[in-house]
Amino acid sequence: MVKAYTQEHIYKHPWERVTSASWRKFADPENKRTLSHILEVDTLNHKLDPLSGKLYTTRALTVHAPGPWFVRKIIGQDICHCVESTVVDAQSKSMQLTTRNVSLKKYIEVEEKIRYEPHPDNPTGWTVCRQETSIRIKPLSALASMAEKVELRCAEKFMQNSVKGREVMERICKYLEAESRGISL
Amino acid sequence: MGFGKKEKKRSSDSQSTSPCAQLRTAYHNCFNRWYSEKFVKGQWDKEECVSEWQKYRACLSEHLDDKHLSRFLQAEGGVDLVSPADLRNPVDGSATGVSS
Repeated sequence: MVKAYTQEHIYKHPWERVTSASWRKFADPENKRTLSHILEVDTLNHKLDPLSGKLYTTRALTVHAPGPWFVRKIIGQDICHCVESTVVDAQSKSMQLTTRNVSLKKYIEVEEKIRYEPHPDNPTGWTVCRQETSIRIKPLSALASMAEKVELRCAEKFMQNSVKGREVMERICKYLEAESRGISL
Repeated sequence: MGFGKKEKKRSSDSQSTSPCAQLRTAYHNCFNRWYSEKFVKGQWDKEECVSEWQKYRACLSEHLDDKHLSRFLQAEGGVDLVSPADLRNPVDGSATGVSS
């Protein structure tokens, strides 16, 4: 029982700015209200390869458990830890984020992959974001009997949150654009 | 007096890293600046924010008691956690090192 969803979005901002915004997405206090399902973001690990220009980062996201109230009732907790692994290749200009839940795994596995790359039609000005979400209910879990419904509601929630995430990204990009104009005169 | 006892807003493990909030902000601010002003502009040869990172990390290792998360912290420089191969192949529970 796996459900997968793909979304694509084009940011009319250069890759450098969009990926900078991605790092700030959860941290900005102003966005905390919009992305209120994210409670904490901690960097657990990071490594820079100074020769190839690759940056590897592992962050922990503490999230309000996704899904409807009856799911929370079954699993008995309302927070969920996710681990986000990021690889940024500054040379080829690609950023790839993979987020998976590490708690509640006996019930459900959610994996979200996001990739930011320069848009082929305007590589220096635009960025394309491809997002792939897969949701899998464990077959023998307490959720299995209502898997269809749970997956659907989870997916709805994810879609809502990724729309909010895009709004936040656009806002930070605008802010960074203004900032860079101010600095570079 | 039943209501006198203040209910914690969140369960304790969600707050486990909040004592590090200040150090976290210092590190993230430094990282964000380095990322947008140096790393993406081709200056990736030198690691920065090292002292901010060390202070923040020391705090995390003291306060991060969630076992799911602390194993990621222990794997210092664990590039294999985030290697491109890992990104392509979803890791199942048995392969993530929980067993030990």
